[in-house]
Amino acid sequence: MTDPYKTLKAEVIRVTDETSNIKSFLLKPAQKFSFKTGQFVQFTVPGIGEAPFTPSSSHFKKDEIEITIMKAGRVTSKIHELKPKDVIGIRGPLGKGYPLEEFEGKEILILGGGVGMAPLRCLLLSLLEEKDKYGRLLLLYGSKTPGDIVYAGQFADWEKRGAEIYRSVDRCDTGEWKEKKGVVTCLFEGLKLNPDNGVAVVCGPPIMMKFGTMKLLEVGYKPENIYLSMEKNMSCGIGKCGHCACGKYFACKDGPVFKYSVVKDIEGIWD
Amino acid sequence: MKFIDKKDFMGFVSALSADADIFYPKVSADTSDWAKWQTGDKFSLDGHRTILPVKYFFYSPQENLRAKKRRPAIIFGARGCDTRGLELLKKIYLDDPEDPYFRKDILMFTADCTSAHPDCFCSALGERPRAEKDFDLNFSPLGDGYLIEAGSEKGKEILRKNSERLEDASETHKKELLNMRAATEKTVNGQNNGVTLDMQKLKEKIETRNAAFENYGKTCVSCSACTTVCPACFCFFLSEGAENKIRYADSCQLPGYARVAGGGNPKKELISRFMHRFGCKFSWRPSMHNNLGCTGCGRCIAGCQGKINFKEALIAVSKS
Ligand SMILES: Cc1cc2nc3c(=O)[nH]c(=O)nc-3n(C[C@H](O)[C@H](O)[C@H](O)COP(=O)(O)OP(=O)(O)OC[C@H]3O[C@@H](n4cnc5c(N)ncnc54)[C@H](O)[C@@H]3O)c2cc1C
Ligand code: SF4
Ligand code: SF4
Ligand code: FES
Repeated sequence: MTDPYKTLKAEVIRVTDETSNIKSFLLKPAQKFSFKTGQFVQFTVPGIGEAPFTPSSSHFKKDEIEITIMKAGRVTSKIHELKPKDVIGIRGPLGKGYPLEEFEGKEILILGGGVGMAPLRCLLLSLLEEKDKYGRLLLLYGSKTPGDIVYAGQFADWEKRGAEIYRSVDRCDTGEWKEKKGVVTCLFEGLKLNPDNGVAVVCGPPIMMKFGTMKLLEVGYKPENIYLSMEKNMSCGIGKCGHCACGKYFACKDGPVFKYSVVKDIEGIWD
Repeated sequence: MKFIDKKDFMGFVSALSADADIFYPKVSADTSDWAKWQTGDKFSLDGHRTILPVKYFFYSPQENLRAKKRRPAIIFGARGCDTRGLELLKKIYLDDPEDPYFRKDILMFTADCTSAHPDCFCSALGERPRAEKDFDLNFSPLGDGYLIEAGSEKGKEILRKNSERLEDASETHKKELLNMRAATEKTVNGQNNGVTLDMQKLKEKIETRNAAFENYGKTCVSCSACTTVCPACFCFFLSEGAENKIRYADSCQLPGYARVAGGGNPKKELISRFMHRFGCKFSWRPSMHNNLGCTGCGRCIAGCQGKINFKEALIAVSKS
């Protein structure tokens, strides 16, 4: 029997500083590692602890995976100390990920905030890889300040490959921001969308998920066409430890991506 | 069905101890709890449930997750609520991907309850005070011996091997059995005033906030005794050891249970944690697994530091 608690060793190949508190880690697992876009892994710092992250690299890449991590507490602080050649563990892939087949032929709106861009990058790269299967592809991305934009150097390439990109920052103290200013929902102003044949995918801090979802409903998306990444406390990642309970669902096993229609009546989903 | 005379019973236990560790309900004062059998120990299967459930035989409250060498075990005197609780845990631990550290080398030798703890309320959930399935052998205490029923191939094999200690059950034994079972049922029903909860109604009520929760929850001190002693609670926290993962028992009643990075916590409020336990047991597990998450053993009532009567809370919620 395979042991779902065992980690696969992976070597850190490259560390990229994305912002002052976000780094991307390129990892080379000891064996080929397959996952579906939106699935996550438990990242183990030996002797310290585990934390869940969604790879930010395309699921078409199997030899190396990249994970983008914000320094947020105990385990992520240790992760931020890692250097190339360090060996860590990964456990997974876990969860269900995005149902890409349901997106085929549809307009796809990706709504992201802050480090929530990490799983969305994986989704975006996977969609761009097979762009012909899908309709119009829009990315609406909000950050606190221009300095907090992750993957700052990559947007131009995504645009070239066919994604429509709209970005906002909450504030800009240097005055050098030529795009929109305001919380991410301001990007909907003047945007022509096709909610009747479209899906929306949201990932970001809870407050942004909440207002983002409300906005999507307001502009005409149906609850069953809005996909949310539920960030819950996770420990086992395999539906045993109970921590990620989201009403009757285990976010780790039945999610972490849920249709809004499925979770909308559950208490505390935005907390 | 077989019968064993009480004077032959310890010899039977002793013979089994050659191949397995034996655990039994050891009585002290007016309660009983699990003890490992040593040569010379004597015990009886009369009575009712122990203080702790059997779950900690199957996984430990603190456990290094690595392959372990150990002898198989036999648990004597587990009650109906124990096997029911165990089956509920298996729905979690043995569901795909199966937990390889959940023990499968333990035989369950259950026993019918002949009395009830004052907090037992299995009858209110529509259950009976005995194991009706999921046992290897079941023992029904009669005055001078035990009637034994095999519930698995392994159980049958043990009866075959020990046939010289056993006799076939007589008609008188079978009559005594019915009387004993009826008497225990009467005791449990009696202390629950004949109440049987309407599970469907309870499920609906539990899904929404309810004044009864606030009423009963207000003396909760978030100690987690209730989930620790519960045969059906399964939560744990996975931590890092030097080489393996270490699993610690955890509880939805503790304030940090659902905390996420950045300080967000959907279960910050005491009442939302208090409700979580009801939701899990009477709404979510019924929806996902088609069973309750409670056996009616009343251990959480006996253990509660806030003197909260879980059964009365359930009745109040269902009546609200
Ligand atoms: C499916 C999923 C995908 C994710 N993907 C990404 C991603 O791609 N990039 C990213 O940056 N982040 C991601 N996250 C968030 C990331 O997992 C968290 O930021 C990370 O777990 C923080 O760990 P930490 O130990 O550094 O933080 P801490 O705040 O130290 O710890 C958080 C955890 O420790 C426990 N804890 C800490 N303090 C306490 C306390 N006082 N009381 C009780 N419990 C406590 C909590 O149980 C919690 O689980 C994702 C989360 C999920 C669920
Ligand atoms: S909730 Fe209470 S009564 Fe129900 S199984 Fe658990 S300990 Fe027993
Ligand atoms: S045992 Fe009682 S006081 Fe302790 S957490 Fe459970 S309900 Fe609260
Ligand atoms: S993280 Fe353990 S059940 Fe979901």
